[in-house]
Amino acid sequence: MKHIETEILVIGGGATGTGVAWDAALRGFKTVLVEKRDLTHGTTGRYHGLLHSGGRYVVKDPQSARECIAENRILRRTHTHCLEETGGFFVVTPEDEGDFPDRFVAACAETGVPCNEITVAEALRREPLLNPRVSRVFEVPDGAADSFLATHATAQAARIAGAELFLYHEVVGLLVEGGEGECRVAGARVRDVANGEDVEIHAAMTISATGAWAGQLAKMAGIEVEIIPGKGTMVAMNHRLVNTVLNRCKMPADGDILVPIHTVSVIGTTDVRVTDPEHLRIEPWEVQFMLDEGDKLVPGLSKARVVRAWAGVRPLYQEGYTGASREATRQFTLLDHRERDGVAGLLTITGGKWTTFRLMAEKTVDKAVGHLGELKGCITANTPVPGVEQGFYWLGHRLHEVEAARLQGQLVCECELVTRSMLENAARNNPTVTLDDLRRDVRLGMGPCQGGFCTYRAVGILHEIGDQRSEIGAVDWNVAFLQSPAYNQDDEAGNRHLPLTIDNSPLAISSPNLLLRDFLQERWKGVTPILWGRQLKQERLDELIYLSLMNADHLPDDGGSSPLSEFYNFDTTPNENMDIPE
Amino acid sequence: MIDLLVIGEGLSGLMAAYHAARAGLSVRVIGKGLGALHWDAGTIDLLGYLPGAHDSLRCPMKQLGLLDPAHPYHLLGEATLAAALAQFVALTAELGLPYSPAVVAGENSLLSSPLGAARPVFLAPAAQQGGDLGSSAPMVVVGFKGLRDFYPALIAENLNKLGYPARAAFLPYQLLSGRRDANTVHLAHELDAPARRAKLAAALKKLLEPGERIGLPAILGIDDHPAALVHLEQIVQAPIFEIPTLPPSVPGIRLVKSLRQHLLQLGVRVEAGMEAIGFETNGGNNIQWVETETSARPLKHRAKSYLLATGGILGGGFDSDHTGRVWEVVFDLPLTIPQQRSHWFRPQFLEATGQPVFRGGVPVNRRFQPVRPSGEPVYANLWAAGGTLAGADPIRERSLTGIAVATGFAAAQQIATSHALT
Repeated sequence: MKHIETEILVIGGGATGTGVAWDAALRGFKTVLVEKRDLTHGTTGRYHGLLHSGGRYVVKDPQSARECIAENRILRRTHTHCLEETGGFFVVTPEDEGDFPDRFVAACAETGVPCNEITVAEALRREPLLNPRVSRVFEVPDGAADSFLATHATAQAARIAGAELFLYHEVVGLLVEGGEGECRVAGARVRDVANGEDVEIHAAMTISATGAWAGQLAKMAGIEVEIIPGKGTMVAMNHRLVNTVLNRCKMPADGDILVPIHTVSVIGTTDVRVTDPEHLRIEPWEVQFMLDEGDKLVPGLSKARVVRAWAGVRPLYQEGYTGASREATRQFTLLDHRERDGVAGLLTITGGKWTTFRLMAEKTVDKAVGHLGELKGCITANTPVPGVEQGFYWLGHRLHEVEAARLQGQLVCECELVTRSMLENAARNNPTVTLDDLRRDVRLGMGPCQGGFCTYRAVGILHEIGDQRSEIGAVDWNVAFLQSPAYNQDDEAGNRHLPLTIDNSPLAISSPNLLLRDFLQERWKGVTPILWGRQLKQERLDELIYLSLMNADHLPDDGGSSPLSEFYNFDTTPNENMDIPE
Repeated sequence: MIDLLVIGEGLSGLMAAYHAARAGLSVRVIGKGLGALHWDAGTIDLLGYLPGAHDSLRCPMKQLGLLDPAHPYHLLGEATLAAALAQFVALTAELGLPYSPAVVAGENSLLSSPLGAARPVFLAPAAQQGGDLGSSAPMVVVGFKGLRDFYPALIAENLNKLGYPARAAFLPYQLLSGRRDANTVHLAHELDAPARRAKLAAALKKLLEPGERIGLPAILGIDDHPAALVHLEQIVQAPIFEIPTLPPSVPGIRLVKSLRQHLLQLGVRVEAGMEAIGFETNGGNNIQWVETETSARPLKHRAKSYLLATGGILGGGFDSDHTGRVWEVVFDLPLTIPQQRSHWFRPQFLEATGQPVFRGGVPVNRRFQPVRPSGEPVYANLWAAGGTLAGADPIRERSLTGIAVATGFAAAQQIATSHALT
């Protein structure tokens, strides 16, 4: 068995975990991060993409609001290219009357969230589809964030600072030393799920950034951490119905935000307390509720084409809390298990929001510093991650680059404008155990056809480059540019390349049929809750392609199952019960 | 007033128009889009798999008894089905685009899919017949570096895993086209030019090994396709066959083009971009006219008879909404699709039994007239054919084009008979 020695072991490859690894490495700690799947496979990759101004929390949770606006300003500098400057409106619809709007304005002033009331006419000029019956509109500095790209860029920054990241490495046990009174966690035993090998990682400090899975992780050290897993269901509409984030000006509730991000607009969310953070069923009432609420922001929204639905789970934490997850605090929590449980060497960071991931990481590493000795202070707030020179993301950037460099003939995914080189570079340099990993990298299959055309092409291309993947690192390539068609024009471009650590999985190369079946099923899982109308017709075309034309259900079986096959097979078809639970 | 208005210009609509015109009826075809042939493999798939079964059928004509009693093939009967297929073979021979069984009449042959899986096919166009997997001749599957809709190495590897001898080879994309961005249709147009073909043939000859047959993406010409195939084979001196590509489907487009040209010669107008948006009855159960939306103004089409060939969910003949309602968009005919979303899907995309929402359709009687649950025809002068029909999941069972050819023929026969009687 392999042994690795490190000072800090971070568990979890979401926004928080990569943030912690980045911060720790910058402060000079020898740092290792493990993630059981791909980066952002958990909650980070399943959120609506809202960069909070803090406006949403000014009344209910002022401390969160203050943190949000401070981090919002910082992230615009450190993660510029991962953000789109959409701005945000808080709108008062006929159902949102009462004194909330005035309380909202006062609370914005109190918490320092910039808030500017504009006329309804001006709001309608900027967002023509906005409900014309709104009575007041407040402008705030909300934005849209690409959590996939941001996490990759943070991970890249962490690697440049010296951290090592191991993906598809799942913690199977914590190394617990000593007994009563002197118990300490000394690292973790980790399984490489792509290759089935175990690795023992010894660390002075283990940091759990496992989000909704923090309870399960802590249990490995015999510690009770009661996470409140709050499932949030989101629905992506097939168009940018708006270009500004729309929030209802009322107490945060279900279905009251509409976020324009990349080529879609996402309406979210529900908040339902669940028991299993892994397998999340989307109930028909949730989709219906979201569409009904969406109609209040943009009349007719429910008639537009829906492209997909998915659910993420908030890792809410409130010591001793037993109520509904909607009412649980959005503040983050840092648990020092030496103080709390008498178990040294283990910290748990959970709760919070994507917007505050950097702050969460800072506080966590501050705590680790306290235990491990005197080292440098936090500098992440003033350290841009690689790629910021691209400037803010804007909707037309891919099209612009494709047209300027005349890359039309290279397009593998016409919906999301993914070129063959983008796909090849991502596959060569990032772990690719499933095609879903490439979806998170370059947005493969995220458009209206939901993989109808690009699944086949991606499998064909991966199969063709299969032999070359062993030359990982041979090409200079910068992950922070992975979404840029122009940057990825050929294999010569680029800056310093630091590959993610994964023993080259044989799976992706030698099991093209498995890759194909897994991705078709993964896409199916997220469309069944919203298939009707045009999207149902689209799915029938995808069936025509993969059954009638490809005969994909009669391919030779080349690999049984991948580490994620079971996950994709989870049943999300609509069930009988349409009713909203009491 | 014309005798027959066909609504839908997919394979079933075009076949019905052809047979009706041949029977002496005056016919017009209107359509919103272009039909599924533009997407599919361009073969006639009669019946590849029984619902829920994994193994493909060898003799589909002998297995029809195992299908749902409401299946269109049951309504047709074996004799009519055989007649429809024979007529199709004769017609395509006349068009210069001959379809025939790859090896044995009455049996499915297996042809490679763009993934290298074995597709059960009943009738194949001449260019695809050479790919019959029943033959043991080794194959070299040739692709073009950078062509995004065809992957020869993947095809060859899967064929090998299934026990068929095949290898992959690549040629430079520049042999096909100087265009920066070309789809399969562009490339097929390029190969209509003899000079382009000669260059390709010379390159193919170099990579050929003795005894091999050559599999190429289905791009060997559109307008000059039969000559293109002969031309290439003459130079290379080896059998050449086509393997379908990701859409657009060149083989399907060839068939559509020649069918439409032929219909024009028979005096049948085929008009695209006309979406049927309404209709009127005489107050009873006779349709008086169908209204279409065009860019200028709505048009009324009056005919003695009407044929609905709008292709179900795939063709846009049915629409649905989030409440679980599914409706037939022109006449709001009764449908057998469950009106509850919780009954539409199964957990697996590739589930062998298929998705229930795609199995239902317009129920018809043995005369192919849409009927009410009571069994009464909904309208006395309305018929239906193709993907709109209930009782089958044509994509799951691989019968999409078979049902189109057969029911287009049968419905036209019934319409012609009804006109002869009046």
